[in-house]
Amino acid sequence: MEETSLRKRREDEKSIQSIEHKTTNLQKELGLFSGICIIVGTIIGSGIFISPKSVLSNMEAVGPCLIIWATCGILATLGALCFAELGTMITKSGGEYPYLMEAFGPVPAYLFSWTSLFVIKPSSFAIICLSFSEYVSAPFYSGCNPPQVVIKLLAAAAILLIITVNALSVRLGSYVQNVFTAAKMVIVVIIIISGLVLLAQGNTRNFENSFEGTKLSLGAIGLAFYNGLWAYDGWNQLNYITEELRNPFRNLPLAIIIGIPLVTGCYILMNVSYFTVMTATELLQSQAVAVTFGDRVLYPASWVVPLFVAFSTIGAANGTCFTAGRLVYVAGREGHMLKVLSYVSVKRLTPAPAIIFYGIIAIIYIIPGDINSLVNYFSFAAWLFYGLTIFGLIVMRFTRKELKRPIKVPIFIPILVTLLSMFLVLAPIISQPAWEYLYCVLFMLSGLIFYFLFVYCKFGWAQKISKPLTMHLQMLMEVVPPEEAPE
Amino acid sequence: MAEDKGKRDSIGMSMKGGRTNNGFVQNEDILETDPDPGSPEDSPQHNAVDIFGPAEPDLKDVRPYAGMPKEVLFRFSGQARYRVPREALFWLTVASVLVLIVATIGIVAISPKCLDWWQAGPMYRIYPRSFKDSDKDGNGDLKGIQDKLDYITTLNIKTVWITSFYKSSLKDFRHGVEDFREIDPIFGTMKNFENLVAAIHDKGLKLIIDFIPNHTSDKHAWFQWSRNRTGKYTDYYIWHDCTRENGKTIPPNNWLSVYGNSSWHFDEVRNQCYFHQFMKEQPDLNFRNPDVQEEIKEIIQFWLSKGVDGFSFDAVQFLLEAKHLRDEAQVNKTQMPDTVTHYSELYHDFTTTQVGMHDIVRSFRQTMDRYSREPGRYRFMGTEAHGENIAKTMMYYGLPFIQEADFPFNSYLGKLDVPSGNSVFEVITSWMENMPEGKWPNWMTGGPDNDRLTSRLGKQYVNIMNMLVFTLPGTPITYYGEEIGMRNILATNLNETYDVDTLLSKSPMQWDNSSNAGFSEGNHTWLPTSSDYHTVNVDVQKTQPRSALKLYQELSLLHANELLLSRGWFCYLRNDNHSVVYTRELDGIDRVFVMVLNFGELSLLNLKEMISNIPTRVRIRLSTNSAYKGREIDTHAITLDKGEGLILEYNTRNLLHHQTAFQDRCFVSNRACYSSVLNILYSLC
Repeated sequence: MEETSLRKRREDEKSIQSIEHKTTNLQKELGLFSGICIIVGTIIGSGIFISPKSVLSNMEAVGPCLIIWATCGILATLGALCFAELGTMITKSGGEYPYLMEAFGPVPAYLFSWTSLFVIKPSSFAIICLSFSEYVSAPFYSGCNPPQVVIKLLAAAAILLIITVNALSVRLGSYVQNVFTAAKMVIVVIIIISGLVLLAQGNTRNFENSFEGTKLSLGAIGLAFYNGLWAYDGWNQLNYITEELRNPFRNLPLAIIIGIPLVTGCYILMNVSYFTVMTATELLQSQAVAVTFGDRVLYPASWVVPLFVAFSTIGAANGTCFTAGRLVYVAGREGHMLKVLSYVSVKRLTPAPAIIFYGIIAIIYIIPGDINSLVNYFSFAAWLFYGLTIFGLIVMRFTRKELKRPIKVPIFIPILVTLLSMFLVLAPIISQPAWEYLYCVLFMLSGLIFYFLFVYCKFGWAQKISKPLTMHLQMLMEVVPPEEAPE
Repeated sequence: MAEDKGKRDSIGMSMKGGRTNNGFVQNEDILETDPDPGSPEDSPQHNAVDIFGPAEPDLKDVRPYAGMPKEVLFRFSGQARYRVPREALFWLTVASVLVLIVATIGIVAISPKCLDWWQAGPMYRIYPRSFKDSDKDGNGDLKGIQDKLDYITTLNIKTVWITSFYKSSLKDFRHGVEDFREIDPIFGTMKNFENLVAAIHDKGLKLIIDFIPNHTSDKHAWFQWSRNRTGKYTDYYIWHDCTRENGKTIPPNNWLSVYGNSSWHFDEVRNQCYFHQFMKEQPDLNFRNPDVQEEIKEIIQFWLSKGVDGFSFDAVQFLLEAKHLRDEAQVNKTQMPDTVTHYSELYHDFTTTQVGMHDIVRSFRQTMDRYSREPGRYRFMGTEAHGENIAKTMMYYGLPFIQEADFPFNSYLGKLDVPSGNSVFEVITSWMENMPEGKWPNWMTGGPDNDRLTSRLGKQYVNIMNMLVFTLPGTPITYYGEEIGMRNILATNLNETYDVDTLLSKSPMQWDNSSNAGFSEGNHTWLPTSSDYHTVNVDVQKTQPRSALKLYQELSLLHANELLLSRGWFCYLRNDNHSVVYTRELDGIDRVFVMVLNFGELSLLNLKEMISNIPTRVRIRLSTNSAYKGREIDTHAITLDKGEGLILEYNTRNLLHHQTAFQDRCFVSNRACYSSVLNILYSLC
């Protein structure tokens, strides 16, 4: 029964990302085109506009830099294909969570949801909102950094606004998302086209001897891959909508095979555009690469770049609201979080408690001084869970032979991606060991304490708190467990 | 629990969600679903409540419970005790979004213009031939500067200023440029320069370079084409017919070159005289020719697109000369015209600061503005005007609506030969009082054309001069080596034939005790190192707690961290032959810095007389004598040694610039107040 209710929820939420939004009741409405749009829209964040330099800084030459971007795209495609197999085999929402549950049992799944819900997702929501407000306020403080209070006030306003919109109406949330995704694609296209025009006019100076000065150390290549793959983060997004895809067994792999290379193409072409007007050094030293590009190419219309980048950032923030909401919901349903978090608003049909919870945690994160470093140190955890999930795919090939696998990737792909993830987890720790990684691991493991206290042992007093809490929150927010029409 | 777990494992995730739940929340379900007729909250709903709920009409005696469906919920959620907080919370959220946005806009609106990079920290002026030699040829080079950037960052420098490094044949490597787009081979290659720019930017520093648009070398290709009357280059220089009698040139007028004798030189190739403000090897460009202005603009663009963050435009007052070529007036009317050969013997009304000169400088500014649009890439413009009076110097700040230089470099402290409170005071006030409102001051203690502090004022005045420039409002500018108190080299046995006097303050930077003071690993250096380098060098002073270098670093750090010093009001209290006393204060900060600097002999000061509300005892924040740091001092009687300076700090809410008695003695460039609650500056105060 929850499965169907889950589907209903999916329909509610799916439309947030759906480019062609229809009504919340339609099922299987996402075609191949929408699938591709979702992939492209989610993966391309604001990073490619502001600092697409992490790859270049490790390679120091234009040619290898573009090769790394392409290779990362291929690797992301492989990873997404593994997730396609998982998604069609275990048709549950919540990203890695159900796969981990299926492959390894509740503890890794719990730790995943614990880490994601309390650190990774809300802090990245907070970071995106902070960078949005930094971006918006920067023009008013030319020459210096905007005061912290301005950035934080605006970020808090953005978080509150986004969660209000998403808690009020799925339709509104999806509308916002569609507008901002469209804005993002507009600026991507503008940059690519103007770059191509410049290239056609003969601005190829920076592509001559493009392999000169390449640093070919293993460490540098590894770090370049590490940073490059981050730009493709979000390649597993389509798993959240597997069920809504029309004919998923055809469209899911097709969307991945078309979508991610399309992103790769955008990334490479945008880099090419940048290189037509900037040398490698200039690109590395630009504070906002797309803005520099706009100033040099689009003047006097250069203001469109910061405007659209701001749109793109706020759109990305809105998008994270969607996936995180789902994860809270699933974890709540499994009893790994307060159950009330999985409830749905009666009148508005939105996962309001999950979104509000997410927003509150994010606001808490913007209050202290600097959370960038926190996020950096926790980034290895994301790859840890990707790797674990894909390793789970290999494990299940042996332990769960009976499960139907409409899509079955060749076994070497998950093995390759697992090894890659291991590398990506270990690379930053080995190259720059820091105590903070240990603290991150300790934090993740500290989730076990709660697991054993509340989930495993189920102390009575915990329920004495949680039951009335749930009840009152239910009535306060008018939320109920997800319902569904009888099948 | 094990049972539970086993169940889940066997059922798997594909089973109905309700069954796979475990954990404390699941218990709610179990309780709800426990068949316990006594409790109203389970039996009717049971596990199937979601499915059969609507069909169950028997909801009359239910009470709310965790996990209730909407039929139950709606019976209670409409109660005022839930509805009111719900709506209140909703509107509270909406209101807080609005409040947050309005607050943000408000703060942005009242924020003062923030300090740009050229205002935020000190500049460090490097004579590249003497800073660090990386290739053992005895001459400093760009790669050497790059190697020493770490040292520069330890000084808390914000801007590196490298004096002229263009391809040049003159031994001084400053003024006779052969190619404005080339690096002189002695300093390295263009690749070295690009690397240096990248390295400087990587460290968060900025780079400004010298540019002397007035003239070129006579080896410059333009001059060669011009003397042959080639195309548009014919009028690139200032040519005029002149007559020659018995091998002696009779110049068109009495104008003199800065280095003496006629500023006209006969060129045998073109059979005309050309004009040179400086040496005859440095013919003046004809800035009345639009082609020349265009060339210079392109050169400016060339360096800006290389990533240079700004220029120091040198000798701009010489850009234009009067077209009528009339004789300039003699200072001493009775002197025989034939004997007038020294530059100082004429009034230069027709050869300096001509009408239109500022328009040219402003056109440079406009060129630079086009490169300033990128965020964080404002391009700085400074001008060097030699020997001009203060009013003419201030003209470079531009007019209220026409931007020109960000500041003309203030070299008056560098010209101070005799230290005294009055003379220092005069330099400070003449700048502050003449500077147009809202503009930004700057203070240079020396430069390649001045004697070093140690040689000019004396060793005991090095620290106090550094303290002075770091505590005055504006950008402090330090010539390399002044932070460790280097001195001039002696004029004897210099191998160079160029004007020896200008070389004395350009000796190699003293890095450590090794040979050539660590400047070069070569066998010789282009200028001898100063003989005191064993005691006066970076390496030694880094470890000495009371060294000039340590104090410089502390001052620089204080300057970077204290809003009082970067944005505060400057109020001067008093000066006499010995000492200068001034304060720095800012509305919203209840601390005040009082600087007490003694440029004269041992003297006694009573601060209590000057500031009525000063406490009897105040803290010493920094002192040229580091033993005093952190101590307290009695404000009735402050004894100051020769060259001793103190930065005193005390708490007060009664700031001097509010007091009518001091109002005309206080200056601030951009008025701002500080809010400690929000940690912001605001301009509405």
